[in-house]
Amino acid sequence: MPIELILIEILTLILFLAGNYFLKKTFGRGVSRFFQGILFVLAAYFIFKFVIFPPIPSALLYTYMGLICLVVFLLLSSTDSSWNEFQDPIIKTLEARTPGFKTVRMITFGVFPVLAGIGAYNFIKPNFQEPIELRTVHPAPPGAIQVHGSNMVLQEAKSPFRVDEQGKYSEGIENKYLKANPFDEKAPPYMKYVREGGEIFFQNCHFCHGDNLDARGMFAFAFNPIPANFTDPGTIAQLQETFVFWRVAKGGIGLPREGFPWASAMPPWEKHLTTDEMWKVIEFEYWHTGYYPRTWD
Amino acid sequence: MKKDIWYRIKSKPFLLSLAGLAAFSFFSLFFIVLGSAEEKKAGAEKVSVSPGRPDKASPEDLESGKNIYFRKCVWCHGPTGAGDGPAADRLWPRPRNFNAGTFKIRHTASGELPTEEDLFLTVTHGLPGSAMPSWAGILSDKERMQVVRFVRTELVKDRNFLDKETEEFHKIEFGKQVATSKESIEKGKLVYMTKGKCVECHGNDGRGDGNKTQKDEWGFPILPADLRKCWNFRGNREDPYNPKNIFREVSTGLNGTPMPSFADVLSPEDRWNVANFVISLCPPKKIDPLTAKPVLQFVVKSGYNKGEIPSDTNDPKWVSAESTYVGLAGQITEKPRNFVRLVDEVWVKSLYNDKEIAYYFEWDDRNKSVAQPESGNYELQPADVKEVPPGGEPVAVKGQDGWSVYNDSIGIQFPAKWEQLAAPEKPRFIFGDEKNPVDLWKWNAAGGINEYTGKGISNPLTPRDGKNVKIVASEYKDGRWKVILKRDRLTNDKDNEVQFTLGQYIPTSFYIWDGNNGDKGAKTSISTWYYTILKPPVPNNVYVIPPVVVLVVIGFEFWLRRKFEKKKK
Repeated sequence: MPIELILIEILTLILFLAGNYFLKKTFGRGVSRFFQGILFVLAAYFIFKFVIFPPIPSALLYTYMGLICLVVFLLLSSTDSSWNEFQDPIIKTLEARTPGFKTVRMITFGVFPVLAGIGAYNFIKPNFQEPIELRTVHPAPPGAIQVHGSNMVLQEAKSPFRVDEQGKYSEGIENKYLKANPFDEKAPPYMKYVREGGEIFFQNCHFCHGDNLDARGMFAFAFNPIPANFTDPGTIAQLQETFVFWRVAKGGIGLPREGFPWASAMPPWEKHLTTDEMWKVIEFEYWHTGYYPRTWD
Repeated sequence: MKKDIWYRIKSKPFLLSLAGLAAFSFFSLFFIVLGSAEEKKAGAEKVSVSPGRPDKASPEDLESGKNIYFRKCVWCHGPTGAGDGPAADRLWPRPRNFNAGTFKIRHTASGELPTEEDLFLTVTHGLPGSAMPSWAGILSDKERMQVVRFVRTELVKDRNFLDKETEEFHKIEFGKQVATSKESIEKGKLVYMTKGKCVECHGNDGRGDGNKTQKDEWGFPILPADLRKCWNFRGNREDPYNPKNIFREVSTGLNGTPMPSFADVLSPEDRWNVANFVISLCPPKKIDPLTAKPVLQFVVKSGYNKGEIPSDTNDPKWVSAESTYVGLAGQITEKPRNFVRLVDEVWVKSLYNDKEIAYYFEWDDRNKSVAQPESGNYELQPADVKEVPPGGEPVAVKGQDGWSVYNDSIGIQFPAKWEQLAAPEKPRFIFGDEKNPVDLWKWNAAGGINEYTGKGISNPLTPRDGKNVKIVASEYKDGRWKVILKRDRLTNDKDNEVQFTLGQYIPTSFYIWDGNNGDKGAKTSISTWYYTILKPPVPNNVYVIPPVVVLVVIGFEFWLRRKFEKKKK
């Protein structure tokens, strides 16, 4: 979206300049500095609020709008002539020398207190939104974990299924079989493991993490926080495979306090799956998303 | 005179402001046009899918489509397209079996194959209320087109899209759309109740509680749609409140299901009226485009009620109370897991007075299930609860033949001592944990109410003797349970029982057990943590400060005016 956004902004600017030029040619004067400022702020608000998707949080919106107002103000007051041009309609309205300006003043003076009143009301009216709770998404893992009776040192362990045709651990293997068919009978061992992992995934995990591993499963909507989206480069793509194994084996309840163990629906999968099954699911996740795990160094 | 006007236009800022406004509206329009153009661009990158009889698919399309199918679709739909992938047995509705060429969501007449465009749209938008996601943005238009061509050519085995002798594609006529209105909805309701006989399956209130023992073409149990949840309609094309989708389904019928085509029975006008009526049943909610479900707000706001809590479910005080939509997922964290949960939502209201707090729960359940009164002895993992229904058949609607029916129940749970928890800490949301126990109230359809202390899934819930929670009302009508429970806000057992303090966020979560679905113990539908807040009386300063602000601004205006009048002189 960023390119489209920049395009929209440039187009707006061009349109604005063209419109202004047109006005200048026909009426002898363009949009006054005052309205230029207002128009710019309104257009920015419109783009941030309605054009950008997904929507940005309101706190960010207000920060952006504050910055935009500041920039507009700085631009308008950069030269004396521009500042005077900006002030001109305001002073004329306040002075109200002609009947027209008198009307404008009457309207502004009527509208302003009402707006201020509504604003004050909205500001102090209690609204009972849910409290904001900030959760650490990837808390520090422990040094070692106990799974099914054996000790696993996270910095040393390796997936037993990320292997090439000779059965050797191979770091880039998923790249080689990215477009392979896991149901092909002649598939190499790695793809067989992927297929088995996929079967486990689609019997257990897709309810939350989704058919496309994008956190849009049938049950996902009910949870807060929402399940992890593996297609997002911020999840398994930037974690070591043993970190992922720790999360799968110990589940939400095994998170440290900053990870909100009480709110996570992630099962401790060691209760339902064997160590091999968990590794296979992880293989499948990396294969399906096309990412590969981070290494420890 | 003319010159005068010209002069005004040239100099009057308020007219120029009009020009500014016009320019602004022009920009807005420009954005809207640009925005929709962009959407179109994203949606159709020059692929042509046939809106009628399709052409023979090219070998390249089939090859590429096959590749996509075996990476993305095979897991549910299976290697031969028989709807028997590894996921199938734990899904309900089950994945489509392509082999017979029977498809529900179409624009073609009853019994006919769908057009290629129909299949393309289904893959693009997904099927809400099922596991089929929207593939837009995941697969490109071309990829979706290719996988559709692969499916219709290779996996539809009993029929041939290209065979001109056996296959016809009669697209339904939409006629002249009848705009929705009170009158049209009334007429639609009449058709629903009488001529269309919709009521026989979908029930008096549209909650799908009519005929519950039907089977689909493959022999799997099938339930009529709950028309009050339009966001779950499979064929709604991600546009839940559009009557056009209902018109289409009423006209085409859903192949392979008991839903027939009404094209010959009802006039297009009747069908539009029915469509408007059906849409009018669905509560208007903001739909989250990512989940295709109503947007969740995790707060139950309890309103102050002077005097006695009303015991009538239709009391205006309850009707006007704010209703919170609570989404429910199957409990699949701990055994026995509930992969097929039929109750996916509960609506919660709350009122409090000086002494008590009351919760009002409403949820749709097609079967009223009542078993023997439950003893306080809560079995967390009863031996007779199966985790996976045999042969992938959901336990739902099996109640009558073979499966035990348990009590429909609702549970609401709080941390027993939330005051002592340092925010945001809470007990675990599934029955609490050792460190932080929960206070769980469970109402069951046999008319009982039990209070438990929960200390985690591996410790059975401990029933308590205290009988503090009272049933204010409970009724089942036309596929919907309504239950009102109340309790004193403060009790003596402060170690085990939640205390309701004004204006504080009290963690709250919910359970539903669907007795007919075999739900019991840990086999349940659950929500995540919500909050209850007893809204304190509106502080007086809400009524004082805004007028003061108004007065101050007016005062400032007078001062400004005076200053500039003086300057003028």
